[in-house]
Amino acid sequence: MVFLRSEEHLERWLEQKGQEPGASMSATTLNELARRWWWTRIEPDWRPRAAAESQAILDELGLTGDFWRLA
Amino acid sequence: MHELDLGIRNEVYSSFVATGRAPEPATVANALGLAEDAVAAAYRRLHDAHALVLHAGTTEIRMLNPFSAVETPHRVEAGGRSWFANCAWDALGIPAALDTDGAVRSECPDCGEPLELEVRDGGLVRGAELLVHFVVPARRWWDDIGFT
Repeated sequence: MVFLRSEEHLERWLEQKGQEPGASMSATTLNELARRWWWTRIEPDWRPRAAAESQAILDELGLTGDFWRLA
Repeated sequence: MHELDLGIRNEVYSSFVATGRAPEPATVANALGLAEDAVAAAYRRLHDAHALVLHAGTTEIRMLNPFSAVETPHRVEAGGRSWFANCAWDALGIPAALDTDGAVRSECPDCGEPLELEVRDGGLVRGAELLVHFVVPARRWWDDIGFT
Protein backbone atom coordinates (compact mmCIF):
# COMPACT_ATOMS: atom_id res chain seq x y z
CA MET A 1 0.00 0.00 0.00
CA VAL A 2 1.43 3.36 -1.01
CA PHE A 3 0.72 7.05 -0.59
CA LEU A 4 0.52 9.01 -3.83
CA ARG A 5 0.31 12.71 -4.52
CA SER A 6 -2.85 12.50 -6.67
CA GLU A 7 -4.94 10.45 -9.12
CA GLU A 8 -2.68 11.67 -11.91
CA HIS A 9 0.37 10.29 -10.14
CA LEU A 10 -1.45 7.02 -9.49
CA GLU A 11 -2.41 6.54 -13.14
CA ARG A 12 1.13 7.24 -14.30
CA TRP A 13 2.63 4.93 -11.67
CA LEU A 14 0.32 2.03 -12.58
CA GLU A 15 1.09 2.52 -16.27
CA GLN A 16 4.85 2.58 -15.62
CA LYS A 17 4.60 -0.63 -13.60
CA GLY A 18 2.19 -2.32 -16.00
CA GLN A 19 0.03 -2.91 -12.95
CA GLU A 20 -3.73 -3.33 -12.99
CA PRO A 21 -5.50 -0.83 -10.72
CA GLY A 22 -6.50 -2.13 -7.30
CA ALA A 23 -8.45 0.07 -4.90
CA SER A 24 -7.91 3.63 -3.70
CA MET A 25 -8.98 5.56 -0.64
CA SER A 26 -8.20 8.89 0.94
CA ALA A 27 -5.41 9.20 3.51
CA THR A 28 -8.11 10.19 6.00
CA THR A 29 -9.95 6.90 5.48
CA LEU A 30 -6.69 4.99 5.75
CA ASN A 31 -5.95 6.72 9.05
CA GLU A 32 -9.31 5.62 10.39
CA LEU A 33 -8.68 2.09 9.14
CA ALA A 34 -5.22 2.11 10.76
CA ARG A 35 -6.66 3.25 14.08
CA ARG A 36 -9.30 0.53 14.14
CA TRP A 37 -6.97 -2.19 12.84
CA TRP A 38 -3.81 -1.59 14.85
CA TRP A 39 -4.81 -0.03 18.16
CA THR A 40 -4.56 -3.27 20.16
CA ARG A 41 -1.36 -4.49 18.58
CA ILE A 42 1.01 -3.86 21.51
CA GLU A 43 -1.50 -4.37 24.30
CA PRO A 44 -0.05 -6.81 26.88
CA ASP A 45 -3.15 -9.01 26.62
CA TRP A 46 -3.23 -8.98 22.79
CA ARG A 47 -4.90 -11.97 21.16
CA PRO A 48 -5.41 -12.73 17.46
CA ARG A 49 -8.52 -11.14 16.05
CA ALA A 50 -11.08 -13.38 14.39
CA ALA A 51 -11.34 -12.99 10.63
CA ALA A 52 -14.96 -11.91 10.98
CA GLU A 53 -13.91 -9.05 13.26
CA SER A 54 -11.32 -7.89 10.74
CA GLN A 55 -13.90 -8.08 7.97
CA ALA A 56 -16.28 -6.02 10.09
CA ILE A 57 -13.69 -3.25 10.42
CA LEU A 58 -13.39 -3.06 6.63
CA ASP A 59 -17.17 -3.18 6.20
CA GLU A 60 -17.74 -0.38 8.72
CA LEU A 61 -15.51 1.91 6.68
CA GLY A 62 -17.39 1.12 3.48
CA LEU A 63 -14.58 -1.09 2.19
CA THR A 64 -16.92 -3.64 0.71
CA GLY A 65 -17.01 -5.68 -2.47
CA ASP A 66 -14.88 -8.53 -3.68
CA PHE A 67 -11.58 -6.60 -3.44
CA TRP A 68 -12.01 -6.23 0.31
CA ARG A 69 -13.10 -9.78 1.13
CA LEU A 70 -10.48 -11.37 3.40
CA ALA A 71 -11.49 -14.92 2.48
CA MET B 1 -2.70 -19.66 19.08
CA HIS B 2 -0.93 -21.63 21.84
CA GLU B 3 -0.37 -19.74 25.11
CA LEU B 4 3.40 -20.25 24.84
CA ASP B 5 3.47 -18.70 21.38
CA LEU B 6 1.22 -15.87 22.52
CA GLY B 7 3.53 -15.09 25.44
CA ILE B 8 6.57 -15.13 23.16
CA ARG B 9 4.82 -12.96 20.61
CA ASN B 10 3.87 -10.41 23.25
CA GLU B 11 7.42 -10.37 24.65
CA VAL B 12 8.79 -9.79 21.12
CA TYR B 13 6.52 -6.78 20.62
CA SER B 14 7.23 -5.43 24.09
CA SER B 15 10.97 -5.71 23.53
CA PHE B 16 10.75 -4.08 20.11
CA VAL B 17 8.73 -1.13 21.38
CA ALA B 18 11.08 -0.67 24.35
CA THR B 19 14.33 -0.88 22.40
CA GLY B 20 13.47 -0.17 18.75
CA ARG B 21 15.20 -3.43 17.79
CA ALA B 22 13.71 -6.80 16.94
CA PRO B 23 14.90 -9.32 19.54
CA GLU B 24 16.68 -12.51 18.57
CA PRO B 25 15.31 -15.77 20.00
CA ALA B 26 18.13 -15.84 22.56
CA THR B 27 17.05 -12.47 23.98
CA VAL B 28 13.44 -13.60 24.38
CA ALA B 29 14.57 -16.95 25.78
CA ASN B 30 16.56 -15.13 28.47
CA ALA B 31 13.68 -12.80 29.29
CA LEU B 32 11.15 -15.61 29.66
CA GLY B 33 13.42 -18.34 31.06
CA LEU B 34 12.92 -20.58 28.03
CA ALA B 35 15.27 -22.60 25.85
CA GLU B 36 16.49 -20.73 22.79
CA ASP B 37 15.47 -23.60 20.49
CA ALA B 38 11.92 -23.48 21.84
CA VAL B 39 11.69 -19.76 21.18
CA ALA B 40 13.13 -20.17 17.68
CA ALA B 41 10.50 -22.82 16.95
CA ALA B 42 7.81 -20.46 18.25
CA TYR B 43 9.10 -17.70 15.93
CA ARG B 44 8.54 -20.06 12.98
CA ARG B 45 5.02 -20.92 14.13
CA LEU B 46 4.23 -17.23 14.65
CA HIS B 47 5.49 -16.53 11.13
CA ASP B 48 3.23 -19.27 9.74
CA ALA B 49 0.32 -17.78 11.73
CA HIS B 50 1.05 -14.28 10.29
CA ALA B 51 1.71 -12.94 13.79
CA LEU B 52 5.16 -11.74 12.68
CA VAL B 53 7.26 -12.03 9.53
CA LEU B 54 10.73 -13.58 9.39
CA HIS B 55 13.40 -13.21 6.75
CA ALA B 56 13.10 -16.31 4.56
CA GLY B 57 14.73 -19.40 6.04
CA THR B 58 15.85 -17.66 9.24
CA THR B 59 14.57 -16.70 12.68
CA GLU B 60 15.49 -13.07 12.03
CA ILE B 61 12.45 -10.79 12.29
CA ARG B 62 11.62 -8.66 9.26
CA MET B 63 8.18 -7.30 10.23
CA LEU B 64 6.25 -6.85 13.43
CA ASN B 65 3.28 -5.23 11.78
CA PRO B 66 2.79 -2.33 11.77
CA PHE B 67 6.51 -1.95 12.52
CA SER B 68 9.29 -2.90 10.14
CA ALA B 69 12.58 -4.20 11.50
CA VAL B 70 14.32 -3.14 8.29
CA GLU B 71 14.65 0.20 6.55
CA THR B 72 11.75 1.16 4.26
CA PRO B 73 10.57 4.32 2.45
CA HIS B 74 8.01 4.90 5.23
CA ARG B 75 9.52 6.56 8.30
CA VAL B 76 7.44 7.41 11.36
CA GLU B 77 8.28 9.64 14.31
CA ALA B 78 6.11 8.64 17.25
CA GLY B 79 6.43 8.04 20.96
CA GLY B 80 9.84 9.72 21.10
CA ARG B 81 11.41 7.34 18.62
CA SER B 82 11.88 6.93 14.88
CA TRP B 83 10.40 3.80 13.29
CA PHE B 84 10.12 2.23 9.87
CA ALA B 85 6.74 1.00 8.64
CA ASN B 86 6.08 -1.71 6.07
CA CYS B 87 3.63 0.31 3.97
CA ALA B 88 1.28 3.30 4.02
CA TRP B 89 -1.28 1.50 6.17
CA ASP B 90 1.33 0.44 8.70
CA ALA B 91 2.83 3.95 8.75
CA LEU B 92 -0.44 5.30 10.10
CA GLY B 93 -0.77 2.18 12.24
CA ILE B 94 2.30 3.00 14.31
CA PRO B 95 0.84 6.09 16.02
CA ALA B 96 -2.37 4.07 16.45
CA ALA B 97 -0.57 1.12 18.06
CA LEU B 98 1.48 3.41 20.31
CA ASP B 99 -1.63 5.48 21.09
CA THR B 100 0.24 8.70 20.45
CA ASP B 101 0.68 11.49 17.93
CA GLY B 102 2.98 10.81 15.01
CA ALA B 103 4.60 12.20 11.88
CA VAL B 104 4.95 10.09 8.75
CA ARG B 105 7.46 10.78 6.02
CA SER B 106 7.04 8.75 2.86
CA GLU B 107 7.46 9.35 -0.85
CA CYS B 108 5.29 9.27 -3.93
CA PRO B 109 6.34 6.16 -5.90
CA ASP B 110 5.53 7.97 -9.14
CA CYS B 111 7.56 11.16 -8.80
CA GLY B 112 9.73 10.36 -5.77
CA GLU B 113 8.75 13.57 -4.02
CA PRO B 114 8.55 13.43 -0.23
CA LEU B 115 5.11 13.17 1.32
CA GLU B 116 4.38 14.17 4.89
CA LEU B 117 1.47 13.27 7.11
CA GLU B 118 0.76 14.03 10.73
CA VAL B 119 -1.58 12.39 13.19
CA ARG B 120 -2.71 14.31 16.25
CA ASP B 121 -5.20 13.02 18.82
CA GLY B 122 -6.03 10.22 16.40
CA GLY B 123 -6.94 12.51 13.52
CA LEU B 124 -5.02 13.20 10.35
CA VAL B 125 -4.06 16.88 10.50
CA ARG B 126 -1.58 16.89 7.63
CA GLY B 127 -1.56 14.93 4.37
CA ALA B 128 -5.33 14.48 4.15
CA GLU B 129 -5.19 15.45 0.47
CA LEU B 130 -3.04 12.41 -0.35
CA LEU B 131 -4.31 9.30 -2.06
CA VAL B 132 -3.69 5.72 -0.95
CA HIS B 133 -3.67 2.77 -3.31
CA PHE B 134 -3.94 -0.94 -2.56
CA VAL B 135 -2.71 -3.08 -5.45
CA VAL B 136 -3.40 -6.49 -3.90
CA PRO B 137 -6.93 -7.70 -3.04
CA ALA B 138 -7.51 -8.47 0.65
CA ARG B 139 -7.68 -12.24 0.28
CA ARG B 140 -4.19 -12.24 -1.25
CA TRP B 141 -2.46 -9.88 1.21
CA TRP B 142 -0.51 -12.72 2.79
CA ASP B 143 0.46 -14.46 -0.48
CA ASP B 144 3.52 -12.19 -0.60
CA ILE B 145 3.37 -9.80 2.34
CA GLY B 146 6.54 -8.04 1.24
CA PHE B 147 4.93 -7.06 -2.06
CA THR B 148 1.58 -6.26 -0.44
